[in-house]
Amino acid sequence: MNRRMVAALVFAAAMTAGAFAQTTKINFQLNWKISGDHAPYYVAMEKGWFKDAGLDVNVMIGQGSGFTVQMVDTGKADIGISDAPVPIEGRAKGANIKIVGIIFDKHPNCMFFWKDSGITKPQDLKGKTVAVPASDGHKVMWPAFAQLIGLNPDDVKFVNIEPTAKPAALGTRKADVVFELYTGKPFMEKAVPADKLGAIIWADYGFNAYAHSYIASDSFIASNPEALRKFLQVVYRAWDYTLNNIPEAISILSKYHPINRDDFVANLTSVREFFKTDRYRNFGIGYIDPARMNDTINIVKEKGIEIKGVPRDYYNPDFLPNPPFKFNF
Amino acid sequence: MKYLKTPLVIFVLLVIWQTAVILFKIPEYILPTPVSALEHLFLPQPDADYNWVMHIKATLLEIVLAFAVTSVAGISIAILLAWSDAIRRASMPLFVFINSLPIIAVAPLLLLWSGYGLKTNIIIAFLISFFPVVINTGTGLASIEEELLDLVKYLHGTKLQVFMKLRIPNSLPFIFTGLKICSTMCVVGAIVGEFIASDRGLGYIIINSQYTMDSPPIYAGLMLVSLFGVALFGLVSLAERLCIPWARPAGQEL
Repeated sequence: MNRRMVAALVFAAAMTAGAFAQTTKINFQLNWKISGDHAPYYVAMEKGWFKDAGLDVNVMIGQGSGFTVQMVDTGKADIGISDAPVPIEGRAKGANIKIVGIIFDKHPNCMFFWKDSGITKPQDLKGKTVAVPASDGHKVMWPAFAQLIGLNPDDVKFVNIEPTAKPAALGTRKADVVFELYTGKPFMEKAVPADKLGAIIWADYGFNAYAHSYIASDSFIASNPEALRKFLQVVYRAWDYTLNNIPEAISILSKYHPINRDDFVANLTSVREFFKTDRYRNFGIGYIDPARMNDTINIVKEKGIEIKGVPRDYYNPDFLPNPPFKFNF
Repeated sequence: MKYLKTPLVIFVLLVIWQTAVILFKIPEYILPTPVSALEHLFLPQPDADYNWVMHIKATLLEIVLAFAVTSVAGISIAILLAWSDAIRRASMPLFVFINSLPIIAVAPLLLLWSGYGLKTNIIIAFLISFFPVVINTGTGLASIEEELLDLVKYLHGTKLQVFMKLRIPNSLPFIFTGLKICSTMCVVGAIVGEFIASDRGLGYIIINSQYTMDSPPIYAGLMLVSLFGVALFGLVSLAERLCIPWARPAGQEL
């Protein structure tokens, strides 16, 4: 090999490296199957916002919050969506992950029931049968909520069901109550007529934990801080846009996934309710409130998990958009 | 007339289904009518783009690849086990162990190890469907008349010759039985794989629609899946008839 060829090769290698440096590949792990609250990522993709920010984002369908934590901790995913208590518990047990942004500001945990069952407040759950999947976030957080409302966690009888069977379980009265996010209401209404469907949102009875959050691993934060910053910048911009243009966002989502648009517009419209808070109005979508983060960590602690270090070890708000996307609803 | 019976039975069942749903006013989220399911399949829907062609292609590719991988690997494993008694005794419990794994429980781990998409789908389909191929082929390779083996021994035939000229041809009917079972299980495996590890394919449409209680596309997807199962089973049966016409007693059709 002569000298000129070597020089040409070195040059070519440098050029390729340069080309790769311009776009950062990001594996993004969702929390669950596609739902309306996943529309912003496809809006950002469709409008070329990720690309403009130098990001090549690969969206992966989810298997639950625990799975997201595993994927992000092992580096199979760079950023993921997980229910806040799960990564906190994961970190307490040795996973190297942090919360870097919030999605729902108000907690969407909810209970659905037939109005004729006589339930009017969460305390009425005493003695009832509740259908909920074994690994469901509701079940994980029930003991904390039960204590909050003055019940013993064992006051209800749980029956285990498939996640997709929630509406059917209530529709056929296999259980008195189904725990499901409030955003699942449009799907519940297929099984129970809307005027007969009762719903109680946990947050309205003092449940103050954080829910869906973005998480990243310590190593990704250390090695790609700029990519993380850009990613959050784009997704919160996309959230801002999506919440103000719901039908458009859903038709974009339906280009990528076989979804029923009417159902998903209803779903995303109820998602919007959980962003309409003074915090998001004043400090922007995604804002991490230290006091609420402490509450969330305390919920994990009440489960008997030993929390090491200080709360700030469990989250890092430094990568949120600046200036923030204040939500004007 | 012979070939008209099956479609006729299916048609009658569809009519009963359609009438029952209308007659008993069954809500659509519990059971849609077949007409509504077929409409979702063939007519453009105002409120969704199911993109059937793309998803059908994905599922067909998975089924074909899974079936190819499973049959080749399954038959090879069986030959290896029959070749050496030591290997068979050492590894048979392992295969039984793998076959008894509840795939649904293992799948999230598979996903962590081998990621999302086609590869994981095929691994899942393989794990679900390889066992009948191994067992059937193994039985075929073993069930050979002692007199024939004695004769070959007398003629100084080698072990390789015994396999190539006696054991493998003799086991063909067994292999095809294994492949027929495998063909339908591969379809199940591909769909289970899509439930867990994919964002395309009929299994993905089904699981996605279950989440929103959008039941007509679920049933449309199921119809297609069963159709693929029947088609693959039919192809294997056809290949069987062409390869070993002597093995089938007259009058028996399956």
